[in-house]
Amino acid sequence: MLNEWLLSFARWLDSFAWSTEIHESFYLYAWIESTHVLTIMVFLGMLFVIDLRMLGLAFVDVPASKISERLDKPMMIGFALMVISGLFLFFAIPVRSTQSIWFRIKVVLLIAAGINAFLFRRKMKQAKGDWDTDRVPPKRMRVGAGLSLALWIGVIMTGRTIAYDWFDCHKELPYFMYWLAGCVDEMAALD
Amino acid sequence: MDLLFIFEWLDTSILADMSKAYGGVFAVVQMVHLVALAMLGGTVLVSDLRLLGVLLSDVSSESVVNNMDRWFSVALIVIALSGVFMSSAVAIKLYYNEMFWAKMIGLFFGAAFVYFIRRPLLRHPHDTINVWSLRLIAISSMIIWFTVAASGRWIGFS
Repeated sequence: MLNEWLLSFARWLDSFAWSTEIHESFYLYAWIESTHVLTIMVFLGMLFVIDLRMLGLAFVDVPASKISERLDKPMMIGFALMVISGLFLFFAIPVRSTQSIWFRIKVVLLIAAGINAFLFRRKMKQAKGDWDTDRVPPKRMRVGAGLSLALWIGVIMTGRTIAYDWFDCHKELPYFMYWLAGCVDEMAALD
Repeated sequence: MDLLFIFEWLDTSILADMSKAYGGVFAVVQMVHLVALAMLGGTVLVSDLRLLGVLLSDVSSESVVNNMDRWFSVALIVIALSGVFMSSAVAIKLYYNEMFWAKMIGLFFGAAFVYFIRRPLLRHPHDTINVWSLRLIAISSMIIWFTVAASGRWIGFS
C-alpha cells in the first residue's frame, strides 16, 4: 500500500515539466549536485568538529558546549542548503529515487540521525556546569557522538550509492528486494 | 613533461585490477573519499573562519588552528590514498580529462600552500601577524579548497 502511494506521488512529481527540465539540463543538474556535495562539506564538516570534541579528540581545553553552540549556526545553514539542494535532486529524478533501496535506507538513517541529534542537543544543554569542561566527556556523550558520526556517514554513503543500479527495478531481483525497493510493477508481474 | 606513463602504469597495476573487478570495493572507497572530503572541508572552514573572526571568536585562533591542522592532515592523507585507488579504475580516461587536471593542480597548490606558507606563518603568535595577512591566508585557503572540491565533482560530469 505504502509502495503504491509513494510511486503515485513520484509519478505525479515526474509529470511536472520542471522535473524533466532539471534532469535533462546538463549544467543546472550538475550545479545542483555540486551544491549538494559542497553543502555536505559545510554541514558534515562542522558536525565532525563537534563530535570530535565530544569524543575528546579535539578542542579538549575548550568547553564542549562552547564548540557546539558556536558551530551550530553554520552547521544548520549547511544543513538547510543541503536539504534544499537534495529536494531539487529528488524532484529531478523522483521515480527512480523512490524505487532506490539506497535512497530508502538513506531516509531511514536521516530520521534516526535527526532523533539522535535532538536527544544529543538536549543532553548538551544539560551539560553546563557538569562535565562541560572535562577533557573527555562521559561515556554516554561519547556514545552519542559516535552514533551521530556513524549515522551521518551512513547517510552520505547511501546517498552516494543511489547512483549505482545494482538493485534497480529493471534488474532481476528476489521478490523481497522488489518489495524493499518499491518495485510495484515488477511485484505485480510476479504475482 | 608527459605524465602519461604514470597513468599507463596505474592502469595495469594491481589497484586497477581490484577497482575494475570489484565494483563494490570501488564504491566503498568512493564513499570514504567523500567522507574525508567533508572532514577536510570542516577543518578548513572552522580554521579559516576563525582567522577571519567570524567563528569561535572567543577561542584563541592558535588553539583553533592547531586543533584543526592535525585532522586536516588525516583527511588529506585519506583523500589522497582513496583518490589514487579511484583513479586506477579509469586512469587513461582521467589523463585526458581537463577537470581532473584542474583538481590535481588545485590539490598540488593547496597542499604546498598549507605546508609551505600557511603553517610556517601561523606558527608565530597570531597577534604578531598583520591582520590583513591572516585574512588573506584564510580567504586564499577557502578559495583553493573550494576549487579542489568543486572541480573534483565536475570530473564526473565532464
